[in-house]
This record gives sequence, C-alpha cells and structure tokens, in this order.
Amino acid sequence: MAGSVSSSRVMQVHKDRVIARFPEAYTKDARIDLKFDFDPRVRQACANDKVNAVGLKICKMIVIGDVSVGKTSLVNRFCKKAFDADYKATIGVDFEVERFEVLNSPFTLQMWDTAGQERFQCIASAYYRGANIVTIVFDVSDINSLTNATKWLEAARKENAGAEGLLVFLVGTKKDLIAPGAYRDVEKEAIKLAQAMSAEYWAVSSKTGECVKEFFFRVAALAFEGSILREMERRQFSRGAQIGDGNAIKLKNEPSPRYKNTKVSCCKT
Amino acid sequence: MENELIEPDENEGKTLPWDQFSEWLHCIAVVTFDLELGQAMEFVYPKHIELSDTERTNICYLAFPDSNSGCMGDTQYCFRIRRSKLAKSHKPEVDRIQNKNCPVMLLKDKTHFYGYVYFRQVRDKTLKRGYFQKSVVLLSSLPYFNFFKDIVDIIAPEYFDNREPCLEAVCHDIDQWPCPIPGKTLSLPLMGMVLQVRIPTKQDKPGTTFLDNIDKKTSLASLTLSSINEVDLFESFQQILPHLHLIWELILLGEPLVVMATSPTLCASTVLAFISSISPLRYQCDYRPYFTIHDSEFKEYTTKIQDPPHVLLGVTNPFFAKTFQNWPHVVRLSGVGLPNYGGSNPSLLNSDVKLKKVTKLKALDQKAGVFTKYKTFLKKDKMFLKNFTKGLVSKQSSRVQSNQLKRHFLELTQSFVIPLERYMASLMPLQKNISALRAPPSIRPFRPEEFLQMVESNGPQLTSGTKGDWTGLYRQFLRSPNFQHWHIQRRLEMEAKVMSLHLVALSEMDLRSWCGSKSEVEVVDVVLRLKQKVSLVNEHKIEVSEKTLEKLNSQLTTIKETLPPDLQTILSKD
Repeated sequence: MAGSVSSSRVMQVHKDRVIARFPEAYTKDARIDLKFDFDPRVRQACANDKVNAVGLKICKMIVIGDVSVGKTSLVNRFCKKAFDADYKATIGVDFEVERFEVLNSPFTLQMWDTAGQERFQCIASAYYRGANIVTIVFDVSDINSLTNATKWLEAARKENAGAEGLLVFLVGTKKDLIAPGAYRDVEKEAIKLAQAMSAEYWAVSSKTGECVKEFFFRVAALAFEGSILREMERRQFSRGAQIGDGNAIKLKNEPSPRYKNTKVSCCKT
Repeated sequence: MENELIEPDENEGKTLPWDQFSEWLHCIAVVTFDLELGQAMEFVYPKHIELSDTERTNICYLAFPDSNSGCMGDTQYCFRIRRSKLAKSHKPEVDRIQNKNCPVMLLKDKTHFYGYVYFRQVRDKTLKRGYFQKSVVLLSSLPYFNFFKDIVDIIAPEYFDNREPCLEAVCHDIDQWPCPIPGKTLSLPLMGMVLQVRIPTKQDKPGTTFLDNIDKKTSLASLTLSSINEVDLFESFQQILPHLHLIWELILLGEPLVVMATSPTLCASTVLAFISSISPLRYQCDYRPYFTIHDSEFKEYTTKIQDPPHVLLGVTNPFFAKTFQNWPHVVRLSGVGLPNYGGSNPSLLNSDVKLKKVTKLKALDQKAGVFTKYKTFLKKDKMFLKNFTKGLVSKQSSRVQSNQLKRHFLELTQSFVIPLERYMASLMPLQKNISALRAPPSIRPFRPEEFLQMVESNGPQLTSGTKGDWTGLYRQFLRSPNFQHWHIQRRLEMEAKVMSLHLVALSEMDLRSWCGSKSEVEVVDVVLRLKQKVSLVNEHKIEVSEKTLEKLNSQLTTIKETLPPDLQTILSKD
C-alpha cells in the first residue's frame, strides 16, 4: 500500500485522470449540482490560467460507512484498478492520493478510507476534520447499512460544522450482487434518503467497475469547481490581503482545536 | 468502464507490512505509573517489536521527568539511549541514498535510539495515586528532533483521549509514509492531516527555506513543518549568552559537559542546541539530552576512578550536583526568569559576567551559570556580541535572535573547518599519478605538525573576525573524537574518489594494444580485476558515471576477445 502512495505522488497526471467535460450525475433525482456544465466563471478562470494564481487545489475526501460495505474496494477499484474478493478489515485509515487534471488545471484528491469497525470510531473525529467531501458508502444488498447512513453523516458533519460547501455523496456498492428488481426498491429508498441529506446518489460495483470511474470524476469535478469558486469569493472579499493567510495551523502557539476533547457519537450498527 | 483487473498484489511492490513504518520509527511505547511496579511499560506498538530488558528499563525511567512534582500538565522532551542490537537495514537502497545526500547530523543512528516523549500529569481523584501520569514515547533511529516533537505533539493528546485504537491507526498511517529521502517534499498522512516535510540535503545552502512557499494555502487538513531538526538556539543559550563561544569550544573538543536544569524539556533542548552549534560537524561523543540516575550507563559515566568520559549529559535530579562536583565543566540553568541582558545596561560584554569557580557548585545553588576552569583558545567575537546585544535591547523576536546565533555559529565552524578541508585536499594524489595499470595511489597520511604549520602561516586568524590561539584550538581538536570521525569520513570519501578516478583512467586507456604485448596469464588477471571493479560499481561501492561504466564493460569485452575461445567461455561464467 505504501509503495503505491509514493509512486502516485511522483507520477504526472495520467491520461486516465484528465477531466475535460463536465461529468454527469448518476440520477437526476438526487444530485448536488443541477447544471450540465462547469460554471462559466470557472471555465473562464481555467482558460485564462488564473487557477495557478488561485493556488494549488487540494481537497480532502473521507470515505465512511458501516463495516464491510466495500469502502476500501471502491477506493482500490479506482486508484489501483484492482478488486480483491477477500475481505480484509481496514486498520484505522488507509490513505490514497489521486492527481487529476480538470479543465487543464491540476487538482489533487486526498482520500481517507476509514475503518468501519466500532473499535476505531473513537478516533474518527480526528480523521473527519477538515473534510471537503464526505462519501457515505452502503451495501445495496444490506438495507441496514443504508439506514445507518444518516448517523454517519451526522458524525462527519459534527467535525466539520461551519465548513463551507461540504459535498456529500451517498454511494451504494455491490450492485452486481443484487437482482435488478430488488435494486429498484433499494434505489427508491436511497434516493429518498439522499434527498433528505442533500446528498448526491450513486450506485456502483467495484467488482465489475460499473460507474466507479464516473463517480470519482464527478467528485473531482464538483470539488474542483467548488474550491475555485470559494477562493474567488474570498478574494473579492479581501482584495489585497494575502492568499490563505492565517489558514495554516501553527503547532506552537495556539492550543489548536485538534486537541479538543470531543467524543464522536459512535454509530452503532 | 474499467474491465481489466490487476491482481492486488502486483501493485504492492515488495513492501511488507511495517517496512515503511520501520523507516521512520522503531515503535511507540506507552509508559505508565503502576502503584506496585513504579514506572512500567503499559504496551508497545507494533506488537511484534522486540526491546531488550535494558532498553525497556531505560525507556521506562527516561519517559518520566525525574522530579515529577514540578511538571504538571503536559511536558515534552527527548532522550537518547544505546541500542542493545544494531539497527537492521530493511532497505539498503534507501540507506545508500541517505548516506550519500543527508547531512551527517541527520543520518540514521544505528547504535542509538532517540525517544521523543510526551508526558502528561494531571490530578485525577478517581485514581488511587491521585494523579494521572502517563507518557507516550516515539522510539526512532532518526535524530529528527523537531519533526518527532511535532509528531508526538499530534499523537499523544489524541491517545490520552482514545487509547489503543488511536496508536493502532497512527502506526498504520505511518506505515503508509514514503521513505525519508533527503531533498524531496514528502507528504505524510497522519490523523486526518497531511504533513508536508522536507529532509535537508548536504548540498542545501544554509539559510535557504524550501517549504515556506509551497502550498501556503493550507487548510485544516494539511500542515507544513518548516524544519525537521532545527532547535531554538536562542531559547537554550539565553541564560548563558556571555559564554556561547566557550560552549562552542567545549562541544567542538568533546569535553565532558553536564547541563543541569530544572526540567527535562530545558536540559534536553539545551543539549540539542549545544551539539547543533558545531553543525555541519557531527558531535561524535555520546550525548544524552536527558539522563537519570537509573540509566544503565549511570555508573560508567559517573565513575570517580577514571577521568570523566567525553560525554554531554542533560540532567534534572539535584542529586547530580554532588555526583558531578568534580566534573570539569557544568552548565546550570535556572527555571523561569532570565537574566536581564536586555535592560538599559546590557551586560554581555561586561567583565562582571564571569565564569563561576568550580568550587562554588553546590546542590543548593540554583543560580544559572557556567562552572569551569576552562580558558578559551579564541577570543569572543566582540562585533557579534555587540550587534547581538543591540537586538536584545530592541527586543527582536527570538526567532530572529535564534537565526543570528545559528549564522554566527555556522560561520565560526566553517572558518574552523576550511583549513582542515584544504589540508585534506592537499593529501590527495595528483591526477597524473593515477595510472590505469598500477594500483590506485594511496592518500598521504594526515600529519598533525604539517597541518599546524599550515595553520600558523595561513589560518583563520587571518580572515575570521575571531582572534585568538587558533593553532592551540586545532591542536586540541586533533585529539578529539569529533576530529577522528571527521577524518575517517573524509578519508573514505577521498578513497572512493581515487578509486573512481582510477576507473575512469582504466576505461579510457587502449587496453587492446596493451594486451597484444602481454602473456595470457597477465591478460586473464586484468580481466578478473576489471570484472571485480565492475561488480563494485554495480554494488554502489564505487561511484562512476554511466558512461564510464559502459566503457568499462566494453573494455572487458574487447580484451576477453583477445583470449582463446575456451578461456573466454570459462571467464564468462560467474
């Protein structure tokens, strides 16, 4: 695993990671963005190469959900083009970085693939902090894992209270394991829930690869666009002020909020 | 849609679980206070890690401040202990790159462990002892003092709240870190953040910053650590500013030195500041940022039968005042409250800041000062002290002051090292004496008298602002372990250089016509020798350019062809 982290960092953006067209949502019934193209301001900024001036775009995504719903499989399918049918529980958190090129601009997606096990819920808060994207994974063949999605979102929101533009995705996995008829019933429920959570709904199969790449492209495009727009707004607010000033955490001076004694409400399954 | 599947293992490379972790840390240990056992190791993670009994005992004692009462709340410091077994190398390739490019001060230490401690002591009525006392210790072979201080500062508080799963997750994070290769910006995931760090290289120009401009736009999820090893010199030297040149000489010469302070944080940071004052030279004697009476080397280091050993110790236990009564040099630091150098009458240069007499060192004397009879070889750099005092008066930030100190020490050390480097270079054989057909010429031995003569006529006294008995200082230095190590290192580098020049000569000579006049036995001998050289290159024992290696290989083929076919077959076998 570690080897792949370092190698993906060295590599230039692979042609597989180039996003030139605005990726579509999975379903019109539960999607975050109602447009069918990139925001014109973002297109303009990228065309004028202003993005470099805006700074390197990095977003943090956390992948959460019940135990063994297939969080790691989803990430591995995309990052390593691999699928391992044997289940191996994640210890703590796995970390992956993917570099994209969106509208000719570099974009980095950090993925924190968390453990679903109860044992690790106490440390989850540290890993959730500062997320821009929350991907809640459930197993389409296990309705309980869908019901629990609200609790997972609650825990993630709690650590990111006040964060602007948190993107939430609800992703059903193991689509290959369920008959089309049964799936339609699950989808109805899932879309209802996604709407209630203001989340975008996706259904994938990490085994066959169905919709996996499409999902991550959608995530990357929306996150990229969001971060550019936010930065533009911030700049309009404070013209002349230095970019990103005061955003960095200093270890020394302030007893930073990282050490708060907050306990995460554990999502019991 | 992606239909081609790759077996998961194929992407994993040769990395085994914990391989990456071991590049950074040996283990994380938690030490607690057990009512029956005293300080005891609660657990070690990863679980398979072995520690000898001596190591365990040492870690347990060093994980807690000596005089506990004074350290309420959270305390951070570091210690250094001997390893029972030499460090194993998991990745020879990484080691090779580190040895080649890493500044000597930052090289992996195969004979010692560094313990980075985060100790918490708070009142807790629910506990029988009335106090919660626990330490998280990161154990590593890497002397990245600042880096691991920051890391344990992130990990420990989280651990105190959430226990074992936290360390389990953290170790797993660290196991995903890339290797500590000098010169690269590394992204290290830890507890939901990505830390950006850069291990310096030998070639870095002092004073350049590399990471400050990268990724200023950080968020909660990312953190840039500006330096992995730099300690705050001003913080550590501020109580003894008038004596900084004296300290520099004592460290340079590897004189026995004890730092007595009221807290492990202060004695540890001071010891580290002291050894960094002679950078880029590596302090080669043993040093213990924090040392206790329980240490396994306590007897060895406090023996009265022999002269005090050449070590640098940081201590807090008042008992040591007695133990080290006869030590030649003792630095004593007071807790808080600093001498008022910055008042209306700055006293850095005044004659009233005198060294204390050794006899005055008593257990009850809590005043800061340097206790020694040592007379410095060099005179204080008055210009520097004057300027520095101006900074103190105008209350410059301690960062600026620290940087000034750092630059001053660096200049001083460089002035000192340059004549040594120049003399060493003069010992190299002349290029024209390196002949392909003769054994590589040897490097002339280092002759102290010859070197000192050179210093007399052309030493730093001519160029440096610092005046004094430079020759005397060199004479003393040549007997110190710091010199011995530096000399061995340089010799090895020079020998490698000669070898590589020799190979270049060999690759460029006309071997074919030479072979024509030689007997078969002699040609076979040359083939064998060439083969051996090539394999040395392939094992990275000798460094040559790709082009030279290519030429050597073609030379080998060429002369082999001059031999009869049956011999050629035999020689092609390995």
